[in-house]
Amino acid sequence: MRAPLPVLDGPAAPAVPFRRLTTLWVQITGTWCNLECAHCINASGPEDPWLKPLDGATVREAIRDAARLGVKDIYFTGGEPFLHREILPLLGFALETAPTTVLTNGTAITEAMADALAALAASAPYSFEIRVSLDDVDPEANDRIRGSGSWKKAVDAIARLYARGLLPIVTATEIAAGGGTVEGLYDRFQRFLVARGITKPRVKIMPVFPIGRMPGGDALRLSAEMLEGFDLGLLQCAETRVVAAGGVYACPILAGLPGARLSTGGLEAAFGPAPLYHTACVTCHRTGMTCRNA
Amino acid sequence: MGRDQEYRRVAVFGGVYSNTPALEALLMDARRRDVEAVFCLGDMGGFGPYPDRVFRPLRESGVLAIQGNYDESLVAGRTDCGCGYTDPRDNHYARISYEYTVRHTSTENKAWLGSLPGARRVKLGPHRLLMCHGSPRLINEFLWESATPNGLIQALLSEHETDVILCTHTGIKWHRPLDRDRHLVNVGVIGRPENDGTPRVWYAILTACPALEVEFVPLVYDHERLARQMEAEGLPPEFAETIRTGWWTTCLENLPARERQRSRF
Repeated sequence: MRAPLPVLDGPAAPAVPFRRLTTLWVQITGTWCNLECAHCINASGPEDPWLKPLDGATVREAIRDAARLGVKDIYFTGGEPFLHREILPLLGFALETAPTTVLTNGTAITEAMADALAALAASAPYSFEIRVSLDDVDPEANDRIRGSGSWKKAVDAIARLYARGLLPIVTATEIAAGGGTVEGLYDRFQRFLVARGITKPRVKIMPVFPIGRMPGGDALRLSAEMLEGFDLGLLQCAETRVVAAGGVYACPILAGLPGARLSTGGLEAAFGPAPLYHTACVTCHRTGMTCRNA
Repeated sequence: MGRDQEYRRVAVFGGVYSNTPALEALLMDARRRDVEAVFCLGDMGGFGPYPDRVFRPLRESGVLAIQGNYDESLVAGRTDCGCGYTDPRDNHYARISYEYTVRHTSTENKAWLGSLPGARRVKLGPHRLLMCHGSPRLINEFLWESATPNGLIQALLSEHETDVILCTHTGIKWHRPLDRDRHLVNVGVIGRPENDGTPRVWYAILTACPALEVEFVPLVYDHERLARQMEAEGLPPEFAETIRTGWWTTCLENLPARERQRSRF
């Protein structure tokens, strides 16, 4: 990304008290990606990533800390995690600690990589989840959002994983719903997967966030009044922390942004309240969404 | 929360889901197995037909119950079962089931559910047992076998000052012993089969020998009668199919990869 992401100014934001570390996110490749999707929440791309990748030692240290603190699950995201040279050993390391999920665009999941992932899943003590992003069942509509050729590569990756007994979670955003409902979109993806021989289709639909390449126009932010009577524990920043270049952040949507950085040191130093300062926080509040698998 | 009453051998089950035939089979079976007490980890209603019918056997047999998320929602008059699903299809079926259960549970039985504790502590020989529905920290937390790391179990045991955690909520039983005779036991549910292709359901018997022994007990009951009752009540045919075949047809999206791999759908 060439322009910095906006950090919004204004009155003091309400904050979410930290409850416990349920989920650790690892922003392993920062914003380094081989695609440049139109709605990418952190404006990832192939050139000059504004958020740098993490080195393996930092990732291992965060996982060890999280294990000691009783973490329930670990997620790897980016950018595109499979661009990281240590992705397989790091996934293996995480899987020794907790169930682990990797979010990918699928473009690097060759036959050989699918074999390696299947071996990893088979030897792990916990569930290994792979989320493959696809924004439309229609190739042209998908590629308008995610780039030319991305539909075929993602669909091939899904087929390769499924053929090896892995059950990828196909993840789409509401951008493909048009004027339709989330339920309609969900059904469309389910039918698409079943038609391709995937008899155990798994689909997750995410909202589109006003951030990254699709910044919101109205800059609405949460206020204390808007949160009256609302259980702040429902927001993922109550139980999630993200290790990324530069420190530990409140949630995967805001990872890398100075306003969401809670520590420049270790994980425990980031267990303070998370400020709901961004327009993206409004989306979490409104939709009740989670970046977790379920 | 009741604290530290001591036993030697107990039966523990979860998730009745209005399955009165299975509950009656369990109570007979447990009686034959020389248990001193029978505990229920909550969720009396949901999924099955005639929710009011489970309360009499529960109360007359002296089952020591705690609340599940379903019970808590019914008592509070919530519009949602609080099962914790995030998937639209799962929520669709959960809504049907919950609305039916709300309509067919009497005020008196809701009051009884309201009188139940949220958790229970007992002693089993030298072992401190903590009984909960989802997890000790959250009534609707899913503790699946493949998605519950040892570090989390150790943290929960330590934080809640117990040797054994007993839970349910996921619908599939499992047991993981840790060092120093500490354990997590998900006792499964008796309300629906555990997605293994057979109509049987499961409960657990725990014995202090004095080391802890955990035995999962299969229950065969008149599942066809239950399936016909579900159909007569107009519940979704997918529910009756699960009762007959033993394969889950709904609430699948919440399964972690490994449990889903073993699933038919």
